[in-house]
Amino acid sequence: MSHSCATKPLQSNMTTVKNVQNQSGDSMTSNSTRRRRWAMPVAAVAAFTVLSGCAKDAPQDTWQPAGENARKIHDLQVWPFGIAGIVLLIVCAAVGYSVFKFRDRGQAIPKQSHGKPSLEIALTVLPALILIGIGIPTVSTLFDLAKTSDTECVVNVTGQQWWWEYDYPAQAGCGGIEKPIVTSGQLVIPAGQHVLLRISSRDVIHSYWIPKLNGKRDAVPGRVQTLRMQADQPGIYSGQCTEFCGLSHAYMRMEAVSLDAAGFKTWVDNQLKPYTAPTADSKYSEGEALFITNCTRCHQVNGILGTDGKEVIARPDKYVYPGVAPNLTNLMTRTTFAGAAFDLQTEACKTRLWNTPPAQFTAAYLEGVTPQCLDIVQLREWLRNPTTKKPMYADPTKLATTGGMYRGMPNLGLTEDQIDKLVAYLTERK
Amino acid sequence: MAISERNPVPALAGSASAYVTPSTSFGVFKRPVQSTGWRSWVFTVDHKKLGIMYGVVAMIFFIIGGVEALLIRLQLAAPNNRVLSAGAYNQMFTMHATTMVFLFVMPMAAAFANYLVPLQIGARDVAFPRLNAFGFWCFLFGGIFLNTSWFLGGAADSGWFAYAPNTALAFSPSHGVDFWALGLQITGIASLTGAINLIVTVLNMRAPGMSLMKMPIFTWMVLVVQFLLLFAIPVITVALFLLTFQRSFGAAFFSVEKGADPLLWQHLFWIFGHPEVYILVLPSFGIVSEVLPVFSKKPLFGYKFVVFSGAAIGFLGWGVWAHHMFASGLGPVSVAVFSVATMAIALPTGVKIVNWTMTLWGGKLRFTTAMLFAVGLIVEFTIGGLSGVTHAVAPSDTQQTDTYYIVAHFHYVLFGGAVFGLFAGFYYWWPKIFAKMLNERLGKWNFWLMVVGMNLTFGPMHILGLQGQPRRMQVWTAFRAGDGFFNLAFWNRVASVGSFVLAIGVLMFLINVVYTHRTAGVAPADPWDARSLEWMTSNPPAEHNFDAIPTVHELDEFFHRKYEENEATGEIHQVSTYEEIMADEATRADKHIHLPSPSYWPIILALGLPLIAYGLIFARLLAVFGGVIILLAMFGWSMEPSVADESDYDPPVDGGPTKELATLG
Repeated sequence: MSHSCATKPLQSNMTTVKNVQNQSGDSMTSNSTRRRRWAMPVAAVAAFTVLSGCAKDAPQDTWQPAGENARKIHDLQVWPFGIAGIVLLIVCAAVGYSVFKFRDRGQAIPKQSHGKPSLEIALTVLPALILIGIGIPTVSTLFDLAKTSDTECVVNVTGQQWWWEYDYPAQAGCGGIEKPIVTSGQLVIPAGQHVLLRISSRDVIHSYWIPKLNGKRDAVPGRVQTLRMQADQPGIYSGQCTEFCGLSHAYMRMEAVSLDAAGFKTWVDNQLKPYTAPTADSKYSEGEALFITNCTRCHQVNGILGTDGKEVIARPDKYVYPGVAPNLTNLMTRTTFAGAAFDLQTEACKTRLWNTPPAQFTAAYLEGVTPQCLDIVQLREWLRNPTTKKPMYADPTKLATTGGMYRGMPNLGLTEDQIDKLVAYLTERK
Repeated sequence: MAISERNPVPALAGSASAYVTPSTSFGVFKRPVQSTGWRSWVFTVDHKKLGIMYGVVAMIFFIIGGVEALLIRLQLAAPNNRVLSAGAYNQMFTMHATTMVFLFVMPMAAAFANYLVPLQIGARDVAFPRLNAFGFWCFLFGGIFLNTSWFLGGAADSGWFAYAPNTALAFSPSHGVDFWALGLQITGIASLTGAINLIVTVLNMRAPGMSLMKMPIFTWMVLVVQFLLLFAIPVITVALFLLTFQRSFGAAFFSVEKGADPLLWQHLFWIFGHPEVYILVLPSFGIVSEVLPVFSKKPLFGYKFVVFSGAAIGFLGWGVWAHHMFASGLGPVSVAVFSVATMAIALPTGVKIVNWTMTLWGGKLRFTTAMLFAVGLIVEFTIGGLSGVTHAVAPSDTQQTDTYYIVAHFHYVLFGGAVFGLFAGFYYWWPKIFAKMLNERLGKWNFWLMVVGMNLTFGPMHILGLQGQPRRMQVWTAFRAGDGFFNLAFWNRVASVGSFVLAIGVLMFLINVVYTHRTAGVAPADPWDARSLEWMTSNPPAEHNFDAIPTVHELDEFFHRKYEENEATGEIHQVSTYEEIMADEATRADKHIHLPSPSYWPIILALGLPLIAYGLIFARLLAVFGGVIILLAMFGWSMEPSVADESDYDPPVDGGPTKELATLG
């Protein structure tokens, strides 16, 4: 069991064989993991003892808080869960005892008693007292978790079908951000700081949830709602949109990354560095041209200049609902794409990043998607035909059913050569 | 109307022609007075026939909803599975919930209520028999209408909660949501008319001597549920109208870009939706509160407490709706209020569990299949109730809501609670309704497979949810499954296997029904040594239920006629048998019993509703046609006397049945 510890070395667990057939970046099924999963329940008791030590639970385990907000919830819910368990045992014992003790063995018909009010009242008052005992800390925790006065850093989080946009307003918080940053795929926050998410939506209701950092908060169009975020240590935490938001709800994932203060500053500076155009007459510059013709209808790369020398601004028209697509300026600084549904990294690199200890995590993350780690297959498949990888209302032949509106990325009909060049261009967006 | 049958007035009873009306059915058709053949079912207004039809149709929808559930579990059995596409999966879970809630549990409870309430209170029918028939046809046509969406461009894909603005045309472009909204509107009419009918019946038509506190507990719980329906259905009706106007007529009730707040829908839906939970589960509470005393040979422990706790749940159920919205962003004050209110509702629910357990205590327990389901309910529902308390803790709920932990919770409540209660009811009342005993051996298989199946299916969902697996996700991924003991892959597989065990358990019931009706002989009239009035009837009950309306002296009247307590020793001994009691009753049989006659109008009126609904979706002209049918049917109905005219009957042949006998069948 020890090899399933959180700090396990990469090679013991994950082979570097890439599973090209994988439909999703998140799937990492190898034979070894499959075998181990089957073996686990057989040794259930053993597994339980290991649990306290190092067996690795799902990354969205709600009982392993990694920040103060999630910890407050955890410390609160331990009690009702425990009490509920005890009550269940008592009820089972009483029913079980009655079932065995009072089975019909030819005894006389029992006295036709209609109850005992004193017992009834006692058994109503007792749970009432228990509930008061649970209710008081519930209410106080509730107000604690709604507090915004200790905010040190603000991030605007906007949901849309089926991805999250993170924009960082210029602020003195977060260690200082001079100009607004717009990104997606991964929420990056400074470790230890009280971050306040201001959550909204551009279309339907979504819900933002990073279980290890806090409970969930709905993203409601027309409203801005707040959610506290704080991570104790640098690391990466997974989440998932939890309000059903239409066709591709299952693919609307999120990841939150916390970096140490210096690392966060480095990340901010990198996000704000000016655009450098690729060298002329290379596959990169051809890729840039292709990007301008094919992608800038929806996607923005900050600072990119058109043939007329003017900056190209993404101009989604009325047929693109809800009107935006992720900003790709620094695509390779994050490790996911398409609503965190797919990875830019190979499985091996992803596993290594997720298992990097907190002390080394910031440096590992800031490396971005290195050429060695780039999973070019996923990205190419996506560019070839996005709707086969992720369900979206973007099939041009079926637009009649959506009133001509696109939601999601359509098949652009790119040739393999064009895909090569676009991928080359995108891999330079660091 | 049947109301007059409580104390038949000889003058009226003797001459139906006293009604001054145009000739029956405008003189074109004779009233469908047949007492056998398909007409006797299609045009019936008999509460028992309607009850059976409610049950049969609900069972068919249970099977459909079950198949949908199995497909969902197949899709989730492995990571990134491809059994269902995202679109199909979304339709599947929407229709699974819609079917189980609106087309199985509610109508199945209506089946029991329809059949049993008049019998339990010593009445000959419900207060408004034609309205009763109309309700059934609304339910049937609404259910069929909803399910035809599968073949007409796809079913609703918005979840049964149908949160705005995801139901807007732009986000749900198929006709599925239109079908959903209009279909539920039609079945809602069934619930509403049924509620009014049963409330009037229970309040006005109880046998002499049956005060409210001597009323059988099942009837009590049904009464509470009808009041919940009476106030809850109008709320969903309003919400569904807003939705239909939004989609079909360009209204902007939920259009954010025009200033609407989408939380309006959530409030409307859950103000209906939370009482709905009690609408689903209270009838089953009533059933087990009948079954446990019979097989414990003891009265229900704390009858008054069970009655009042049921009523308390009925009241408190209106003050907890926003606990479905703890993550919606209501603000801490609202959340605190609803959090505490939700904890409070655990108290009357706990009272019920205590009383059921205490009913067993000191009893003389016989473990028939009905009893097994009832005892099973106590334990399984307790699990669901306790997990309910854990998400009354609002901060904790923000981790649990919209995860599989909630799916586990409400399946323990609705399957372990509502459905187990209904199955207890099947086995308990089957000999009363069909005069045949369901096979006990198959019944035990049925029970144990269902218990094992449900715990295998829904038990692991607690783990899945706490490990962070959200609901309504077409796929889950191996990467987020973890590999410890609580890994999602293993427990998802267990749940999927469990769902098939559960399905086999339900199949056992269906096999049992077929087997019983092929082989079993006539059941004894009082096979369980029962306690309440419905068993004081012939086997199966005659169309007029009681030859003489019994006079009630006690709670558990039938038991107290059979047994007496020796005041000195406290010993219980039998003083008379079913046969003796029935013979005694027969001596005071009413001479002239009049039952309302069958009618064409309920089914015709109900038929107009799906026409309007199809018309709104596909061709407005069809809606006009449906509207005309409804107007004509209303007119015909209102002009029709409750009792058929002499001329509606074929003349007696060779001294064949007279009019009266023909009606009575």
